[in-house]
Amino acid sequence: MASGGEEADVGAHELRQALGALRDEIRARLPRGSGTGEGRGPGPDWMELFDELRRRVNSFGMSERSGEVDEFGMDELVLRQAEPVLDFLMDRWWRVDVQGAENVPSAQGCLLAANGSGLLPYDGLMISHALGRGQPFDARPRFLVADWLITLPFVQPYLARLGGVRACRENAQRLLAKGRRVVAFPEGVKGAAKVFRERYRLKRFGRGGVVRLAIESGTPLLPVAVVGAEEAHPILFKIETLARVVGLPFVPVTPTFPAFGPLGLVPLPSKWSIRFGEAIALDHLGSEAADDELLVSRLTEELRAQIQAMVEQSLHERPSVWG
Amino acid sequence: MDTPARIAITGLGTWIGARLAERLLAHKSGLSVVGIDIRRPYRLEGRIRFHRVDLTDPTADGRLAEILERERVEALVHAAFRREPTPDLEDDHELETVGSLHVLHACAAAKVRRFVLASSTMLYGPWPDNPNFLTEQHPLRGHPDAHSVRNRVEVESLLAGWTTRHPDCEVTVLRPCWIMGPSYWDHVVRMFARPVVTTLLGYDPLLQFVHEEDCLRAFEAATLGRHPGVFNLAGRGVLPLSTVIALAGKRSLPLPVPLFYRMLHYPAQGQTGDPPAGFYDYLRYLWVADGERGWSAFGEPLYTTREAWISFVSSRRLRRYR
Repeated sequence: MASGGEEADVGAHELRQALGALRDEIRARLPRGSGTGEGRGPGPDWMELFDELRRRVNSFGMSERSGEVDEFGMDELVLRQAEPVLDFLMDRWWRVDVQGAENVPSAQGCLLAANGSGLLPYDGLMISHALGRGQPFDARPRFLVADWLITLPFVQPYLARLGGVRACRENAQRLLAKGRRVVAFPEGVKGAAKVFRERYRLKRFGRGGVVRLAIESGTPLLPVAVVGAEEAHPILFKIETLARVVGLPFVPVTPTFPAFGPLGLVPLPSKWSIRFGEAIALDHLGSEAADDELLVSRLTEELRAQIQAMVEQSLHERPSVWG
Repeated sequence: MDTPARIAITGLGTWIGARLAERLLAHKSGLSVVGIDIRRPYRLEGRIRFHRVDLTDPTADGRLAEILERERVEALVHAAFRREPTPDLEDDHELETVGSLHVLHACAAAKVRRFVLASSTMLYGPWPDNPNFLTEQHPLRGHPDAHSVRNRVEVESLLAGWTTRHPDCEVTVLRPCWIMGPSYWDHVVRMFARPVVTTLLGYDPLLQFVHEEDCLRAFEAATLGRHPGVFNLAGRGVLPLSTVIALAGKRSLPLPVPLFYRMLHYPAQGQTGDPPAGFYDYLRYLWVADGERGWSAFGEPLYTTREAWISFVSSRRLRRYR
């Protein structure tokens, strides 16, 4: 019975073929003109549209996705479908300038620490796309997403399928142990919720979890500076009372959100750059160094300063916000 | 102790109890099985030594200890839990928690040398801050609205204390995730057997299943061999809820969460006595367990999550067409 999956897949394929034949049959019997629109020139194909609609309506287009997902829920089929959109965002919308990608090891797991910004994890998506584009599905870097976002309704199913993983120690350890590349945002929610006047000023890096993780797992730690994402969703201010009512850590007000409703969540086309720094050597320390609180906090502060310097350099080189 | 010659099963009438008894009786070395339940299972008539004990009875521990001693029981499998939560919260607590306490007391008195508990990964609870894979060390947080899960979390903590006080008894806790297969049946299976599955709008968590065969194999191995400790039982791989529903050719009815919880409050209470969150949060947040420890102890599972699900779906179809 171990081949049950294949049998059922074959069954499903046959069923689909039979349904297609049935649809053609119905179409052939329909009065002329109402089916393919041949009689009246090029009109909308209603049958096709109806089929499409019925398919989409069923649970927000998720029902067709019966592909295999990996253990953290990344879906190859969905990623392949989203590839043109990600390419568009990267090449046309934000015109992302990627520097130093050769610093990132491709065959080995590593931890990438980046400055967090923007409401939605576009930065994580872009870093992982910049490194994973044109590479096999499995080699795609995974980006860590804050709890409140990865459990947010409607966002959660898509983020997981595109490679987002809930930011926690156990998940990162597991991914690194499997030799995956992991993008972390050590500032946490504080980083994503930065208001516009504090842009590009890095917040405190949690409690040194990123450095400790890299030491423990013996993987290289790379600083990453993302510039441009702060302007994609400039947060003017945050509404605290509403946030408490809705149960979110913060409700942002941007120039477009919530004024334009969901449309206001379309990011602005700022000019982006992603700069990968050189790996910080930690392997000479040995795993017991992870318990040395002072060392970890010193290394964390060094990492923060390094990313801050890289961000400033990128900002300096950028001609204007819209590039 | 390697292979016990006399094995007692509390909750012989439950699915795990009955199936495990059949497997143990089919074992070549001629084991004798002592069955304990409130009702005599007719299928096993004459092949096992049956004793009728009501675990909710205040004197059940004494009676059970006497039986275990008289039958010289070496290993006990405790599976006397409700197949699904009932509206009678108090009775469920009496049977599941207090009943388990009676069983533990009796085991201590009769010096049973191996104790196997049928638990569940549902005890970890669906929480937004769960890691993607819950290992056996993760705290059992349960769910405040699921009384059956709450009872069983209490059982596990009672057992943990009991284990330290009785170091000469080998204690194995098996935590299977949602079991799927041709013959298994509970409230989870019932929900998935409906043509339309109610889901929560905007949520699509990853689920995992274990096939009934793999689950029983692990129970048999834990009863017959030395496997002290806690083990998650799961199939390899995970499936998103939407894929699970699509694979079965079913439809989902996504409902908005707060409205849904309020709307279904009273009808759902009629079925399980719990607010709907007690079950539907399991279709909202992640609670996937890491099965690695179980796989290395009991062998590679025969079915992956996907295969377990397809085995369930195809057996349901056959039943409908018959």
